[in-house]
Amino acid sequence: MKPLVSILDGNTFVVSDRSGDIDPSPDFPTGFFSYDTRFLSTWQLTLDGERLHPLSVDDVQYFESRYFLVPGEPTHYLDAKVSVIRHRIIGGSFDEEVAVLNHSGEPAELTVRMEVGSDFADLFEIKNPQQKKGRTCAVVGENHLLLRYERQSFRREVNITTTEPGAIDEHGMTFRITIPPHGEWSTRLHLTTRVLGAGGRDFRDSLRMQRSRSKEEMEQELDQWLAQAPRLGSDCEPLSTAYRRSLIDLAALRYTSITHATQLVTAGLPWFMTLFGRDSMFTCLQALPFLPQMVPPTLRTLAGLQGTRIDDFRDEEPGKLLHELRYGESAGFEEQPHSPYFGSADSTPLFVILVDEYERWSGDSDLVRTLEWHVRAALDWIDSYGDLLGTGYIWYETRNPESGLENQCWKDSPDAISYADGRLPDFPRATCELQGYAYDAKIRGARLARTFWNDPAYADRLEREAAELKERFNRDFWVPDGEYYAIALDTDGRPVDTLSSNIGHLLWSGIVPPDRAAKVAAHLLGPKLFSGWGVRTLATDAGRYNPLGYHVGTVWPFDNSMIAWGLWRYGFRREAGIICQAMCDAARFFNGRLPEAFAGYDRSRTTYPVQYPTACSPQAWSAGTPLLLLRVLLGLEPQGEHLIINPAVPEGMGRIELLDIPGRWRRVDALGRSRPQQEADTEP
Amino acid sequence: MTGATVDFFNSIPGKAQLLLRIPMAGTLRIDLVEGHRTEHWYVTFAPGQAQVSRDEQVADAILTVPTDLFDEFVTGRSRPNAAVLRNDATVSGDIRLFLALRRFFPAAPGVRDPREVAREKVAASRQTGHQRTTNPPSTGQHSTGAGRYSGGHQPNAVDDPVTGPGTREHTG
Repeated sequence: MKPLVSILDGNTFVVSDRSGDIDPSPDFPTGFFSYDTRFLSTWQLTLDGERLHPLSVDDVQYFESRYFLVPGEPTHYLDAKVSVIRHRIIGGSFDEEVAVLNHSGEPAELTVRMEVGSDFADLFEIKNPQQKKGRTCAVVGENHLLLRYERQSFRREVNITTTEPGAIDEHGMTFRITIPPHGEWSTRLHLTTRVLGAGGRDFRDSLRMQRSRSKEEMEQELDQWLAQAPRLGSDCEPLSTAYRRSLIDLAALRYTSITHATQLVTAGLPWFMTLFGRDSMFTCLQALPFLPQMVPPTLRTLAGLQGTRIDDFRDEEPGKLLHELRYGESAGFEEQPHSPYFGSADSTPLFVILVDEYERWSGDSDLVRTLEWHVRAALDWIDSYGDLLGTGYIWYETRNPESGLENQCWKDSPDAISYADGRLPDFPRATCELQGYAYDAKIRGARLARTFWNDPAYADRLEREAAELKERFNRDFWVPDGEYYAIALDTDGRPVDTLSSNIGHLLWSGIVPPDRAAKVAAHLLGPKLFSGWGVRTLATDAGRYNPLGYHVGTVWPFDNSMIAWGLWRYGFRREAGIICQAMCDAARFFNGRLPEAFAGYDRSRTTYPVQYPTACSPQAWSAGTPLLLLRVLLGLEPQGEHLIINPAVPEGMGRIELLDIPGRWRRVDALGRSRPQQEADTEP
Repeated sequence: MTGATVDFFNSIPGKAQLLLRIPMAGTLRIDLVEGHRTEHWYVTFAPGQAQVSRDEQVADAILTVPTDLFDEFVTGRSRPNAAVLRNDATVSGDIRLFLALRRFFPAAPGVRDPREVAREKVAASRQTGHQRTTNPPSTGQHSTGAGRYSGGHQPNAVDDPVTGPGTREHTG
């Protein structure tokens, strides 16, 4: 596959090749996308009928790129008499300036052609190519080309205008030009998308949403975003690079939600550029000490879309939090269930956890009171619809066998949950980390009930239930032979006995008794799970282990950050430090941008982390990883009105200084040093 | 306008105490369109309360729906969010009011409690014996299903289909 260049602004993004061209690809997401629709699938620039060859690509900003091109293929003699510069910006709309430069002393007569086309594919049709059910047409104007897709009342349009006159046809624009000696010709192509809504207007206008922004506005927003975040000073260069990269990537992944016209974070480019309950909440948990402003819009939007009834197609139940929200054709015509889809068993307890964690940092008790009934409904779900089999655990099984998700935990690929010998258990399944989240949700829910809702009886009940769950869980999920927790229970209540990274999440949740924690930590850092670059999703001796398996052997940075948090919670600072160090080492090979996942090969076999071929990047919870690791290294924990700072920086990492950490204490600085002696410093 | 629609509007105030315990305020106008005729309904929301009126007033949001489609909403045969995404219904103004109304629409007719279904299935499979696990690892196909996992783009093939009740085969 050719290397690709992406620029993005939340859920509007362009993926092209290194010339800036988009070649038709029915089954791969190259193109210009917005709100889950591909608005351009062909965008090819030629000079006198010839494709152009990239000399270099400049990723100026996440929303801006430049391509320096010359005619001819790389094997040919480069005709340096003419060159082309494409300058592209995305900010709600899509703008491209095409400049042709004549480097010779003679006038240059040239034909510049931009081939334009759109298949208006829904993102899910790219995952699974199929015939479009609607009609596409092209309208040729004097200086514009309009492409339109219609299916009943559903309509999508993209309009392309040019500032320089040209010959417009249904498939593109042709410019016959003469450039004076050492002169230049350029045109600006401006693309706007329309999604038809109320009164024949674009839905963003009907809902009073912000549309496109200028480059200056985008730059200003980014500067502001970066200025709000704590400043990091560190001797560890990879950590500093990763920190800055993460802040920028999280800015890039923000988009304006239709439902609440606030900014939410999308999950990952290119497949997951939309709201996911699980991903957005994990990202918020990771980023809370740094970018707390991300949390309230996420919580409000998820609460606004909380499940209200039983819907088998969408796996919806009252009180459940959504899994995925899409805006495209397949969601509208109910070919896919994402309007929204509720197929995740963890988003509901995570919602309770995030509300509590957010209050502990921010002191924003108003939001806790505002969300009281949503949180109560979420806690009710855990014990009602969540407990499918009535055995005191969260179970999942999709009721939509056509297009629902089989595995409704974070490891949601079909083979992710297996017995040690490779067999797959029947449904429903109760994975272990779900029970940890449920336990934590009850403990945190109790604190909210007692502190903010004036309901001590409910708090007592939740704590009692949490204690019972902990006891039950430690009896049923423990695999005595291996001394670890099973990945799941099967329908007979027997352990699905695979060793997996899920046990690290149990430490984070606090469901592990102290006398078992050391065993869990030893497994996480042991040779079966720890590759040297991080903790693998699945142990190397499992039947389905594959170092390139999506959830069955690769290393996920997000997973590792939660594991490091869990180890820290139980006092395993050295072990948490090893994971932080490994992630920093890996980040170096990705220019500070940790991908969704990388291969699980042992570090002794590879001097670098092997890239997972189709990993999403940037990915929100991978971008959140360096942030959470910093929290773990510095030991940042809110306690009452104060921030506890208790650093444990691994040897060789040097100084880590984080200034202006926001929270209920306003701003606080933290300092950690690996040698000669660890220090803590607080300046309220 | 159908009887079901009238019943639906009449039931809103009584259900608000239970369904609308969220801080939320404003008026939603619902335009029911049939040919050239449009009927207006107004629902004014407040925490734990909702009032329904036919009297013209200022609205913070407007939901426009064909009358027969709205009848499908109130009888649980169609879902408003999807209808808005395919532009069969439209919303303008403060969309939170539309989401508030959404809470009052019922489930589809004949829908069963998923717990009942799951427990029956497990009990039945216990009776017929244990054939509920599947084969060791092999190459195979991948899911095209909803959601998170980017099926179809993994370098290694993944799953073999799970056999057993209530599960499915994947088609690549």
